[in-house]
Amino acid sequence: MTLVLTLKTQPPGRVDMSPLVPERVAGLAVKAITSVMLECGGRRISAGELFSVSGDDCSRMVIEGGSERLDRIGQDMKQGEISVRGDAGAYLGRGMRGGTVTVAGSAGAYCASGMKNGVIRIAGNAGDFLAAALPGEHRGMQGGTVLVQGNAGDRLGDRMRRGVVLVEGRCGDYCASRMGAGTIAVIGPAGSGLGFAMRRGSVILDHPADLPPTFADFGTHDLGFLRLLHGAWRSSLPGSRFAAIGDDAVRVRRFIGDLANGGKGEVLVRA
Amino acid sequence: MVINGVEIENTFAEAFGMRATRVIITAHSLAWAHHAARAMTGFATSVIACGCEAGIERSLEPNESPDGRPGVSVLLFAMSTKELTKQLERRVGQCVLTAPSSAVFAGIEEGEKLPLGKSLRFFGDGHQISKVIGGRRYWRVPVMDGEFIAQETTGMVKAVGGGNFLVLAESQAQALAACEAAIVAMRAVPNVIMPFPGGVVRSGSKVGSKYKALGASTNDAFCPTLRGNPGSQVPEGVEAVLEIVIDGLTAADVATAMHAGIQAAAALGAANGVRRISAGNYGGKLGQFHFKLHEVMGQ
Repeated sequence: MTLVLTLKTQPPGRVDMSPLVPERVAGLAVKAITSVMLECGGRRISAGELFSVSGDDCSRMVIEGGSERLDRIGQDMKQGEISVRGDAGAYLGRGMRGGTVTVAGSAGAYCASGMKNGVIRIAGNAGDFLAAALPGEHRGMQGGTVLVQGNAGDRLGDRMRRGVVLVEGRCGDYCASRMGAGTIAVIGPAGSGLGFAMRRGSVILDHPADLPPTFADFGTHDLGFLRLLHGAWRSSLPGSRFAAIGDDAVRVRRFIGDLANGGKGEVLVRA
Repeated sequence: MVINGVEIENTFAEAFGMRATRVIITAHSLAWAHHAARAMTGFATSVIACGCEAGIERSLEPNESPDGRPGVSVLLFAMSTKELTKQLERRVGQCVLTAPSSAVFAGIEEGEKLPLGKSLRFFGDGHQISKVIGGRRYWRVPVMDGEFIAQETTGMVKAVGGGNFLVLAESQAQALAACEAAIVAMRAVPNVIMPFPGGVVRSGSKVGSKYKALGASTNDAFCPTLRGNPGSQVPEGVEAVLEIVIDGLTAADVATAMHAGIQAAAALGAANGVRRISAGNYGGKLGQFHFKLHEVMGQ
């Protein structure tokens, strides 16, 4: 039976949920799981103080009744599934290496930072610095797929190195700032400063963006690789707006930059 | 063994271990995909002087191809990994990269990886872009009609080359008709190619020659005009012998194709001048794979 952690009360402080990932609780009985110690607002408390625990299938974990104070859900996770039936805090899926995390609500800042593989699906919004590098880090997200069905905050994909981030809603300012590689697609409108100091990588937009003047217009083209992207989205992200994009939607206006930075990043705006 | 009045000789075809890969070529239309595939598989009849043996396996519907466009599946066979790598790079670089609207993808995902876009990307002179999509890396190389898309690698497998059978007929026209029927049937078999022109070879060879410079020379035992020579295997009344050579990804694929081909050729029967089906071998000492005709035909 699926392992269910039901939040009993609003946590008194921010909780580090990283010990509660499938491979770290694998083989533990319910009692042992309730004894797992979690950092919470500068002190350590047992998981049992926050959650009532039931079930035994640790490969499939449900966090019932989430909270924006539950940080680092799925951090460094390698396999299995975590489903959050509510909100998640910051650093959701940070450094994740495999498996799937789904969030029914919204997620906080730095979601998917340092993520290397796996899939994160967020039904609500994602905070600032989605897929971005932490201050002092050279690389943000390095692989995997993130789907946000709501909106994303500022600095989406800052220093992103690889992977795919898809946002069905809008995104904030400075999307793809300092981006090194990977793919970001946003269906809703994007904020200002998109692509600031971008070096490489692709940003695909449905709406024209307010690009920095250091982006050059490279014209409108049919780009065949979009067929491959759309096909991959269709098979891996059923139910999302990205899965509904037609095969023939390959015509885009291509902007290259940030030329102030010697960058070869591309912003593709659907024509 | 006799099928429809055609004698199936109690002999065997001798085949060799090879290395093979498959690539998928897609394009704006099936016609352009075929242009690229035909160029890529040109001059690839025999490893003796072509470096590899290559052919079109089949056409692909848009819903079967990686990018949803019409495509062609191509198989390449060579005697070594090194040679296959070289031939693949040259042929894709000169014949597919150059073909308008084309893209190239791996047709085999397992096995050792051979570079595809991995080496061709340098044509982009720094403007090439890598994309990892669904766990696979692709290269986007700017070209004059847009972008050439190439998957980074394709898989290589151990394969079987040189499966064959001979069609002995009363006239050249009747031998051709039998072979044409055989090739139509064999093209429906997956995982095989018949690398010679139209799938058929008339210059079957034996190992060695009276001339030191030549490693192979005409298969005089099956030359009708040399019937009077000692050792000739051309029966009275036979004026033409044609050979169909089959390369396949596995021995079972080669056997399936041989069965289909022999069945189709023999179906024309003695009434249409098809007299005998034989096979080429080297006494069984050179090749690892022996396809006994009676076993292939289920007896």
